[in-house]
Amino acid sequence: MAAVAALPDEVARVALDLPLRANLSALDNIALIPIYQRHFRVGESNQQAQQLLDHLGHADIAPLRDPDMTPAQRFVTKLARALILKRPRLVIDRPGAMLYDVPYPTFIRQLAARAEMTGTWEIFDFSWNQALYKE
Amino acid sequence: MNKLHFKVGLFAVASLLLAGIFTVYLLHARGFFEKTFHLQLAAASADGVAPGVPVVFSGIEIGRVTTLGLNENGGIIIRTEFLGRNAKWLKENSTFTLDKPIVGGAKIRVDSPDLAAPALPDNATMLLLTSDVSKEIPALVERVKAILANVEHLTRKDGDLNTTLANVKTVTGRMTGEYGMLESILGSPEKARAVTESLEKTRALITKLDGLAAKADQWLFAEKGVAEQTRESLAQVRLILNDAQSSLKKADAMMANAVEISANVNEGTQDLAQLRAEIDDAVHKANDLVNEINKKWPFARNPEVKLP
Amino acid sequence: MNFLATSIESLGAKVVGWFTVGYGMFAFLVQASLLLLEPATWNRATFDVVVKQVYFTAVQILHVFLGYALVISWLIISIILSTARDFGLTEFASEMTIRVLVLELLPFLTALFVALRSGSAINTEVALMQVNNELDALAHCKVPPMQFEFLPRLVGGVVSVVTLAGLAGLLALLMGYLAIYGMNAAGFEPYTQTIAKIFDFKIVAGLVVKCALFGLAVTLIPVTAGLETPKKLFMVPVSVLRGMMRVFFAIVAIEVVSLALKYI
Repeated sequence: MAAVAALPDEVARVALDLPLRANLSALDNIALIPIYQRHFRVGESNQQAQQLLDHLGHADIAPLRDPDMTPAQRFVTKLARALILKRPRLVIDRPGAMLYDVPYPTFIRQLAARAEMTGTWEIFDFSWNQALYKE
Repeated sequence: MNKLHFKVGLFAVASLLLAGIFTVYLLHARGFFEKTFHLQLAAASADGVAPGVPVVFSGIEIGRVTTLGLNENGGIIIRTEFLGRNAKWLKENSTFTLDKPIVGGAKIRVDSPDLAAPALPDNATMLLLTSDVSKEIPALVERVKAILANVEHLTRKDGDLNTTLANVKTVTGRMTGEYGMLESILGSPEKARAVTESLEKTRALITKLDGLAAKADQWLFAEKGVAEQTRESLAQVRLILNDAQSSLKKADAMMANAVEISANVNEGTQDLAQLRAEIDDAVHKANDLVNEINKKWPFARNPEVKLP
Repeated sequence: MNFLATSIESLGAKVVGWFTVGYGMFAFLVQASLLLLEPATWNRATFDVVVKQVYFTAVQILHVFLGYALVISWLIISIILSTARDFGLTEFASEMTIRVLVLELLPFLTALFVALRSGSAINTEVALMQVNNELDALAHCKVPPMQFEFLPRLVGGVVSVVTLAGLAGLLALLMGYLAIYGMNAAGFEPYTQTIAKIFDFKIVAGLVVKCALFGLAVTLIPVTAGLETPKKLFMVPVSVLRGMMRVFFAIVAIEVVSLALKYI
């Protein structure tokens, strides 16, 4: 999977090996990005992050920290963090490794329907899991 | 989160406030807000004075030496600085004395006998006196004399000794004489040189004591069964010698003191150092002698020896 | 002969190792200080993290620390005073107390206190971040870890040690006054004289610089030690152990150098 790790900068990745900052809440993890990349104020960034979580239908996970989340909640936070980067490509790297508590193809599809994003979503998965994505 | 910010803010405000107060206090303490008062001291020699030497009044530091310099006549000018609030202790009749104590650094002592006298103007020039240690030497010598008189008193007890110890008596009689001489010389100790001379006498005394030991030895080894009385008398002689030894040690300590004090005085230091060496020598000899007598005396370890 | 060569080689390896560590720290410090000068660093978020660091390093432990400083100061002052009285050197007692406590002992103990509490925590946290890939994740999101994680810790450490040492020093000055003169204002003048005599500009500046260096040592060294951790969980304790050893040596070295500069 070295090919995925070596993807260029315009790709936002959601992957097992890119964990959340363990001592920050989900909201802070997401809000970091507007603060440090686009120099937003803290309140504004928090607002953006909260909006994003609302959109994804997981507003309740905002105050949770990484160890307190279920795998699905953790995935949503990582996804939100990737979305707020606003990069043209979004790559979900082996979702099965992160989403082992839900039927993940459906779950991702639901999230994708909720998120307002212009770019492309790509899922990298093992070939033997291909059957799962068939409707 | 807000509580956290509040606490940190409180901490920051309190710390900054304390730091500010301390800074203002420090600036006040160092006289930043006050006019400094300058005083020049004229001295014959700047020996021991350096920038930073404190000027003390009643044991409390009120100023410091800032610079040293020479005037046109080759005299020393010591510039000192005082905080404005301390200038009130400097009066026109104040005396400035350079103190060089045995322990601690040099300091300039201010004595203002009359605090009602008019205050010194800024940049005034005063004379710096050097405290005269040589004046203290006679007092010390008086104390040495007292100790030696005590030695003499001890030796005079010989008169009560058993007459069978004719030899010993003669020698101790001579000892008395020597001490007398010593005393008479020390009685008028105008200069340290006189003390040196007196040391010559002390050494003569030590030589006599040596002779005594030799005789006592001879005599003890010749006669095995010394009479009871003789033994007692010999024991007393030993005690006397011990006393003489400790007295000499006291004299030595006094002289050591004298030498230390006078180390700051240029004149006479050499003499006193010599004197010190000679006293050391004399005490050492007396000590050796007494030890030797103790060693050779057959009943030296008898604890029941008593004075009459 | 073989033995000699081996020992020389191992010595050389050690020297190179120390040099690498020292260079790493220095480079990190340069990077951090350059960043400190950039106005972009001083956004609200970094400031918030600094505030948080100051809270955890200084405010949270303030009452414990001041209690501890109180006890230590009281003991040392009592010992110095009674010894000075025994030897008849009472006039030097207040100066001695201030010099020993405020200038040397309290900053040193503060540094040790902060090192034990915050330094070890920082080292563990950075090591765990490194092992868990969290730093890579931050890098992927283009959040600079230096600004976000490390610089606030350095600043917080320096601010905390300087402030804590200062507060402890002020407390010791107060205690010294009370111990020498008791509860009255009579000794204010002579005590002020003594303080004025000791705290000249050089001494105060030296004290602040020393405390700042202590603060830097107890945060910079743990951060760099944490960053050196190989990505294996069992290496975290080793990393903390190494970091704390280095912190201890650095604190002692700073103290020794400051004493040497002051009195030699």
